[in-house]
Amino acid sequence: MLARASEAELIREAQSGSRGAFDSLVRQYEQQVLRLALHLTGSEHDAEDIYQEAFLKAYRYLGNFRFECSFYTWIYRIVTNLCLDQMRRRKTRREGNGVLTDYSGEEIDLLASVSDDRSFSNPAKELERKALGERIQKALEKLTPRERTVFELKHYQGLRLRLIGEMLNTTEETAKNTLFRATKKLRNQLAELR
Amino acid sequence: MKCQIAQERIVAAEYSEMAGIEALELERHLEGCAECRRDREQLRALKVLADAYPVAEPDANLRARARMRLEAALDALPPRRWIERLAQRIMNGFARLQAAPVAAGLLLLAGLAAGSLGGYRLAENRVTIAAPTQRAQAAPVQAQPAVEAWEPAKDEIASVSRIVRQPNSHTVEVSYNQIVAHKVQGSLDDPAIRQLLMLGSRNSSAARVRDDSVGLLADECKAGHGCKTAGIRDALLVALHSDRNDSVREKALEGLQPYVAEDMQVRNAVLEALLNDYDPKVRTAAISILQPVEGDTSVRQVLHSVADSDRNPYIRTVSRQVLENEPEIQ
Repeated sequence: MLARASEAELIREAQSGSRGAFDSLVRQYEQQVLRLALHLTGSEHDAEDIYQEAFLKAYRYLGNFRFECSFYTWIYRIVTNLCLDQMRRRKTRREGNGVLTDYSGEEIDLLASVSDDRSFSNPAKELERKALGERIQKALEKLTPRERTVFELKHYQGLRLRLIGEMLNTTEETAKNTLFRATKKLRNQLAELR
Repeated sequence: MKCQIAQERIVAAEYSEMAGIEALELERHLEGCAECRRDREQLRALKVLADAYPVAEPDANLRARARMRLEAALDALPPRRWIERLAQRIMNGFARLQAAPVAAGLLLLAGLAAGSLGGYRLAENRVTIAAPTQRAQAAPVQAQPAVEAWEPAKDEIASVSRIVRQPNSHTVEVSYNQIVAHKVQGSLDDPAIRQLLMLGSRNSSAARVRDDSVGLLADECKAGHGCKTAGIRDALLVALHSDRNDSVREKALEGLQPYVAEDMQVRNAVLEALLNDYDPKVRTAAISILQPVEGDTSVRQVLHSVADSDRNPYIRTVSRQVLENEPEIQ
């Protein structure tokens, strides 16, 4: 309750023009913003651009924030829509290559950064796990940007469908149908792996 | 129920988006439909598969780079004109005014409720005074426990809000939020308490809670109370890698100290903190817990590299001293 009250204070201060208060809000949410953008776009470069654009938008339009939803929902809505735009642009350019890249364009070994004691003793298993992760990523990229976003927000970020609907300016029912379509497509694409 | 509807509902159910009568109807359908049961198994398999593409924490470099770029962009924005600031103040005031009727309504309701409760209590007291013998015969009412029992399987915890350790004892009191705040008290060895502390260590909005949680978990590790199996070590690794609060990262380091020699993952995390953490205190603490490790030259390599070329002269000196004092470091 206290945390929520102090966040509301921060938002009001930031709305009145306090840069310090806005910086505190950025620090509070930047990790979540980057995590979502990085996983959705698969590129550090894109994630950094989305981070930049999202917080600049938040700064410009913070005056329009009316406390009708949480700040978390509000900033997530901005980030999600920027990610959607980015994925749509990429689909048009057909850039997706199923590989996560860092700022300089180098491939990131995402799976190496996840703790798994078994991999130290079994390099073959580690390779297998890495290949599997790449297959999943490719399958995810074949979804439409909206399906990919709903699946990301539900499966990986664990958000409620009602909230996902709100973020994407649609209904809970539509979000549920989109999730159903996404899981169906993924199952078809990954059928031989099971 | 038709199979197509059932299959749509399976997705909702498996993602905890269905309850009540719909869930019961689905269960009933699944009992008699092998095809839909197969469908559910396939969905469960997909959920397991999807986790093979994990959500990685953005590293500190990316975060620092993004923040610097944002700060530069914000600095470049022209300051808001006085007319814009005035308009904003008016809008804020207007928003508060809009909320005023709601607040007044709530106050009125609260007043009515308090009045009714007061009247009820008064009437109840009068009845008690009028019939003391009846009261004496009544069965004793068991007092409600001050702190309720916690059942992790049933509860969805929103966040951990406060942690208090009882003075000179092994007991800790953890406050956490659902829709309403709860409080639970138990030993630090209690898995449920440990689970709450681990949740507290990830509370992104309250640095104090993270600091307390990580501090207590670290103490448990230092005392050798089985941290590795319970996932505490992983919680400390995450805190060391990602927490934005220097004190939390420092405490996480202290808790990881007992595992530096035996656990390569911990050693790598400590070396990464030494190389990349932006707080010199955390980096110095990382140096102090490094130990000689047989068959792993990474500790020596990193210390040499820091001693030779780190931009912080104090860190350079400390690293040199460690290398000189402990020549057996591999």
